[in-house]
Amino acid sequence: MSAMTVHNTQISVGVDVGGTFTDVVGYDSVTGEFRFSKALTSPKPETAVIKGIRGLGFEDTRIGLLVHATTLATNSLLTHSCLAKAALVTNRGFRDVIEIGRQRRPELYDLRTRRPSPLIPRRHRYTVGGRVMSDGAEVEPLDIREARRVVADILKRRFTSVAVCFLNSYVNPEHELKFRSILRDAGYRGHVSLSCEVDRKYREFERMSTTVVNAVLAPLVSSYVRRLGRLLLRERITSPIQIMASDGSVITLRDVSERPSAIIESGPAAGVLASKHLARRYGISHALTFDMGGTTAKAGAVINGEPDLVFEFEAAGSTHSGRSIKGSGYPVRGPFIDLAEVSSGGGTIAWVDDGGELRIGPRSAGANPGPACYGRGGSEATVTDANVVLGRLSPDYLLGGKMKIMHDLAMEAVRRIAKLAHLNTEDCANGIIRIANNTMARAISIVSVERGRDPRNFTMFVFGGAGPVHCCDLAEELDVRRIIVPVHAGLFSAYGLLTAEMAKTFTLPVMSTNPDLSDAFAELRRIADDEMRREGLNEYSIVRYAEVRYKGQSYELTVKYDRQLRRAFDKIHRQLYGYSSTDDIEVVNAKIKVVVPGSTVSMPKIVNQQSKRPARWRSAFLGGAWLTTRVLARESLRPGESGRGPCIIEEYDSTLVVNPGWSWKAHSHFTEVTK
Amino acid sequence: MTDRITSQLISSSLLYASEEMGIALRNTSYSPNIKERMDHSAAIFDPSGRLLAQAEHIPVHLGSLPWGLRNIVRYCIKESMEFEQGCMIAANNPYITGTHLNDVTVIAPIHQGGEMVGFAANKAHHADVGGSVPGSISMKARSIFEEGFVVDPVYLVRRGRFLDRSVNLFASRSRTPQERVGDLKAQVAANITGSRRVAEIISKYGLQAFKAAADDSIRYAQTIAKKRLSLLKEGIYRAQDYLEHPDGRDIRLTVTVNVSDSAVEFDYGGTSAQLDIPLNAVLGVTISGAFFVFRSLVGHDIPANEGSFSPVVVRAPRGTLVNPTFPHPVGGGNVETSQRNADLLFRALYSAAPKLVPAACGGSMNNVMMGGKHRGKGWAFYETIGVGLGGREGMDGLDGIQANMTNTMNTPVEELERSFPVMLTKYEFRQDSAGPGMYRGGAGLVRGYKMLSQRTIFTVISERERHRPWGLAGGGPGAMTRVFHIRNGRIERINSKLTVVLNGGDEVVIFTAGGGGYGEPRLRSREAIERDMSNGIITPAYVQRHYGFKVVSRNPQRRPAPS
Repeated sequence: MSAMTVHNTQISVGVDVGGTFTDVVGYDSVTGEFRFSKALTSPKPETAVIKGIRGLGFEDTRIGLLVHATTLATNSLLTHSCLAKAALVTNRGFRDVIEIGRQRRPELYDLRTRRPSPLIPRRHRYTVGGRVMSDGAEVEPLDIREARRVVADILKRRFTSVAVCFLNSYVNPEHELKFRSILRDAGYRGHVSLSCEVDRKYREFERMSTTVVNAVLAPLVSSYVRRLGRLLLRERITSPIQIMASDGSVITLRDVSERPSAIIESGPAAGVLASKHLARRYGISHALTFDMGGTTAKAGAVINGEPDLVFEFEAAGSTHSGRSIKGSGYPVRGPFIDLAEVSSGGGTIAWVDDGGELRIGPRSAGANPGPACYGRGGSEATVTDANVVLGRLSPDYLLGGKMKIMHDLAMEAVRRIAKLAHLNTEDCANGIIRIANNTMARAISIVSVERGRDPRNFTMFVFGGAGPVHCCDLAEELDVRRIIVPVHAGLFSAYGLLTAEMAKTFTLPVMSTNPDLSDAFAELRRIADDEMRREGLNEYSIVRYAEVRYKGQSYELTVKYDRQLRRAFDKIHRQLYGYSSTDDIEVVNAKIKVVVPGSTVSMPKIVNQQSKRPARWRSAFLGGAWLTTRVLARESLRPGESGRGPCIIEEYDSTLVVNPGWSWKAHSHFTEVTK
Repeated sequence: MTDRITSQLISSSLLYASEEMGIALRNTSYSPNIKERMDHSAAIFDPSGRLLAQAEHIPVHLGSLPWGLRNIVRYCIKESMEFEQGCMIAANNPYITGTHLNDVTVIAPIHQGGEMVGFAANKAHHADVGGSVPGSISMKARSIFEEGFVVDPVYLVRRGRFLDRSVNLFASRSRTPQERVGDLKAQVAANITGSRRVAEIISKYGLQAFKAAADDSIRYAQTIAKKRLSLLKEGIYRAQDYLEHPDGRDIRLTVTVNVSDSAVEFDYGGTSAQLDIPLNAVLGVTISGAFFVFRSLVGHDIPANEGSFSPVVVRAPRGTLVNPTFPHPVGGGNVETSQRNADLLFRALYSAAPKLVPAACGGSMNNVMMGGKHRGKGWAFYETIGVGLGGREGMDGLDGIQANMTNTMNTPVEELERSFPVMLTKYEFRQDSAGPGMYRGGAGLVRGYKMLSQRTIFTVISERERHRPWGLAGGGPGAMTRVFHIRNGRIERINSKLTVVLNGGDEVVIFTAGGGGYGEPRLRSREAIERDMSNGIITPAYVQRHYGFKVVSRNPQRRPAPS
């Protein structure tokens, strides 16, 4: 029984496990009803998942599909907990490729710089004789006797997972396949990750790193999904479970167990998907997405309904101004929804450096103790505190009254910083906001301006608990003229899970100057058809891509494949770098993406309250001056209602600040803010 | 009047723009040195040549790019070359641009509203610029003319169009002309990116605010840099270190550092006179070393602009190894002398900041150049190999990584093998090479190359073959560099500065130096020693020799260390 036939008549559930909260959204396709629930994320994430699902109050047996985003993989890489005891097998003489990395120190001028500690220590790295060259020729056969010795040791030392990566295996994987059969023949039962299957692309370090990440995650992730399945059964939920992959598609549990490296950025992808869905529904071809939570802000782009993708990601690494620092984490290749991330969230802490300059981040007060104004013992000024001081956030309460805000604690925290920076409290609070905005604008500019896109032609989708407060400021900074803030902005990511499609990408290295790729695509098609048959799926569509560069370059651009490949590539190159060339082009990889369409899910609406609450007023610092500002409750606004800034629109879990010069209009699924 | 926060926003936008320039350069270039290894730098300057922002790329370009820009500007003024709109100027004469011939500098004046508002500039290492050997850096060069073609500043682009004649100055005299054209275009793309961003910043904040921000950010960096001087104990410090002449002589570097409450003065009096081999380091390189050491010790977080180095004063007598005169050869000065300079300054400042200074790193960039003809086409390849870093207070040195003045990436084995007639035979940490200590030095690397075509001209330029990387605070020295040539199964040790012609099947294996240890070896924890041993970084024999106890190895795949 395939997933597709079931959930049209049933309830679909999206579960987004985050650092603090597990957000759950349920959608009843018969009545069109949405339900939401939040549970505190527990050390055993599956218990919060169950609790969250129960919190929806649906009849469990009616649940027809469960889509799940998880930070399990990222977190265990970040904290090095629960990773498998894994062995790595590679060529003789190349035992340290994985640890040398790209031979570069992550920090140039920091004498105390360090490398991320190896996921597989040297004593667990084995080498075997045998060599294949870059044209696929075998110049030295695999040393079978040595391979057997290594396998015996792997069995003796009880490794639960094995990564195998030989040089040039992207051209000729024979030695890797042979090694696996020797392992299996000797009775090894654990996970085996072959580089030719996990990431069949050239550049040995990146391929090996992806394979190793996959290997150390495999036991953890596969046992998690097994446990989750069992728990759900106990709750009489027998629906298929799908996991969100880093590229925003969903994959089956079987796939996840084999390729856990595909779900590293599972969580953040969902918000972009939700934006994609909303953008498609309203015919918006150029969308920027902006998601601001407690500790970070992330920006992405969705062009003609397709999110930007990136093909290498530094897992558990650090970033500098929204760009990841090479060598600071564990590189993983594969499609990732491209997000520029900066350390700037509501809880980000402001400080003063020894030159007397005001700075913010990357430290965050997180959810605990949280900003000073939460009154939970936090004393450092955060972005949220600055927003409270300036009247942009309610000085009394958040979460519809569930959470008290201590205005005086916010004032006190900001005043302390202001004194160190020789500023008055108000200038200091405004400075904190401006610096945070500038940092966040940079993330947005990475995904727009830096890619030759004019933000003026884009609509910005803003969500996450803290995003809507800053949206007009950011739009002004980037010259964006139209903003969309979905209702339930804080739960938008969980909603995105329900809109995902099942997809799979297949890649074949080509390395040729011939732009005619019909042979490669015929082979890819065969592989894809086989695979989909195995999954029991027969309705799917296929998109062809080529990864192309000028012969001699090392960085390729992804182009949709058709007969005009050359022209399309020249055009993109010109757009990005200001020129095109008459040099030959070289196709590095042919790729196809197989997409299984999901069902149609409608959009969540706001449920209007019967009685209209009277409008309130408060003084807020907007666009550089204190203004008497109208404060409205989102649930009291009816579709079609509109107004002008300055105005503050408060919802349960987010606050929308409309600057002077902007107009707003309520729709049933979102609020539109335009200039 | 521009407020402080606005100034801060403008200067961080400028830094960001310079980083973006580097990315454009990498993504569009053709030389493996640039696209795979990121051997390049990018920066933005004001019209008077003051550095406003420089991306973190290669430390040896830190001082030399600004030094080079100012020299180019001066040259252009003297020669009446105008900074007209839409032009770019290129040069590679190291006595003007500040490093060595392979580094081509391209600068672009930025115009906005009819006024010149600054420069975008970048520098990138081209794999081959002619000269007597593929890759251009040769120990045999007796003058700069044998190291390749020398181009003084010329217009590369005018009114937005490439000048073919200028492009040819670089391309036609290189062994790989097409690659030169591709790289120059990439450098132009980088400057276009930088100029666009500066123009955007100015149209957003206004020219007055932009100028005020330039002054403010420089003053700000100056303030912090001065304050941080207090991390160094005032006093006068001296040190010596050595480079190794291929004929067996030692070449002395001497420095006297005067740390006061307002400046750090580096005086190189007593350093060897300039040489007729390419170990001379042009003044730009020497200044970069001083900037690097200062920045590493007191302020890796200070914005890299004109102000951040204001307390640093460099006195390098003309005609010496660290400030040579035209046309002395300089190809290796940028790489090897540059590394030794950093060692020297760290050593001198150890007494001023004992907790901050690490023991010596492997002390060489281990330059490898090769090339020849394969299937009728010329080829040339250049790369550098990492070393062990020195042990540090509280931390071991890192194994096999780029040290101090460089931070280029390695060339992927699979990239190298598909582009050139070479097969890699080994790329691993070097056993027993770490300097012993309470915090041990990092292990060096072993990298082996096997030739797949006839008559490959192979050059290696390395250091620390006779002088071991020093330990600190009682730590022992790291292992020295060794180079081997394997021909028909016979292993022969060869000089670490050498050009040889190799036959198909010949192999060269380079063992790079380990880092020095920090603190007395007897204080190292037993657990750390056993971990290193089980990882095969050290052998039982090494443990007995340096830590004085006997153990049985538990390393499953112990292999005898070749030497």
